[in-house]
Amino acid sequence: MAAAITSRLTTAICRQFQRFVTVSSHTQPQYATQALYKFHSCQQRQMYDSWWFRGAMNNRAIHTSCVRKGLEDFFDLPENWGELTVKSGAPWTAKQLRVKSNEDLHKLWYVLLKEKNMLLTLEQEGKRQCVQIPSPERLKKVEKSMTRLDTIVKEREDALRLLQTGQEKARPGAWRRNVFGKTFWYRFMEHPIPWHLNSRYKRRRFFEPSHVAPYTRLSLEKYLKNKMRKEKKEKRNQKKISAMFPKKTAHA
Amino acid sequence: MSKRILYPLFQLGNPQLRIFRPTFNLTLVRPGREQPPDTVQFRIPMEMTKFDVRNYLEKIYSVPVAAVRTRIQYCSNKKRNHLNQRVKRPDYKVAYVQLAQQQTFQFPDIFPEKDKKNEEGSVEEMQEKFMEDERQRQKPDPRRGGVTEWFGL
Repeated sequence: MAAAITSRLTTAICRQFQRFVTVSSHTQPQYATQALYKFHSCQQRQMYDSWWFRGAMNNRAIHTSCVRKGLEDFFDLPENWGELTVKSGAPWTAKQLRVKSNEDLHKLWYVLLKEKNMLLTLEQEGKRQCVQIPSPERLKKVEKSMTRLDTIVKEREDALRLLQTGQEKARPGAWRRNVFGKTFWYRFMEHPIPWHLNSRYKRRRFFEPSHVAPYTRLSLEKYLKNKMRKEKKEKRNQKKISAMFPKKTAHA
Repeated sequence: MSKRILYPLFQLGNPQLRIFRPTFNLTLVRPGREQPPDTVQFRIPMEMTKFDVRNYLEKIYSVPVAAVRTRIQYCSNKKRNHLNQRVKRPDYKVAYVQLAQQQTFQFPDIFPEKDKKNEEGSVEEMQEKFMEDERQRQKPDPRRGGVTEWFGL
């Protein structure tokens, strides 16, 4: 592998990406020089085709159909290198995403993922060079869009599951009481062996010992007292205010 | 695949696990040390493996991968904040990816110096003009041919 690389390196100065790969050796030098002058031969990023930020703010009038391949996708368009600001639109909202089909959402996820990778690369390089990156708000926009997309997909999965099986939760669980007397929702895990053969599981106690029972009662009392105190305070406050501003004066 | 997800248990005969919408993010970094020309350096999440990196690059970026090597970089827990609590810098995993088909990669210069053109009538333009005038005034008399004022005449 290393020998093959070193033998070819003499002709390749800065051969970048896969689109030049299929040529034979005698044509390599000319392509190598092309790669030197132009970092990208395709002028447009496919993803800026309205798949990009919603209300696409890109000033591209023409799009070529060449698919961007290779490690170029880890970097922005070369025109934007060194700029102070790069225009970008608003992030996707959940309302807009709900209208999209599953295939569209799937494609959008990858578009957003690649953009996030690009922004992270830029951020790291900025830290390395001690330079501020152009438009750092893009990263938050992409993250928000991705979380919203995830929410929509989860909603659809929930709906489908409810219709098909009637299960509300994807992961089964149960209400259990832990050693401290607190009741919590325990989510099941998958095991290859039954629970009575699982020594580590058996060490985890899902019951409260008898000496903890009085404390459960006390903590419940505390919680209820606190709740009552708040409600009483709220009522007293309302009464005081209504005494200060009786209803008769408002209609006078 | 994905971060923070509970993968289903695998037993012999189970179907191939497929994760749609991976949550892994790759960061291409400039290598700190000199690397061979076909090597690309990435920072990857801890949960990713060499196979994951290979599949990720091949499927999503269509980059032919010959070999992947990974290591975990431990970052210090020694620094302390104003409350004398130790502050941990998060660890990260580094992947060295060697490209197939004799491709090379050179990390480009993403922040080239660009000439700033100040618009007419802006404050920066006036400041720039003023500074230029000041500099012109400070310059010594060119007729003296580089000789300083200290020498009389």
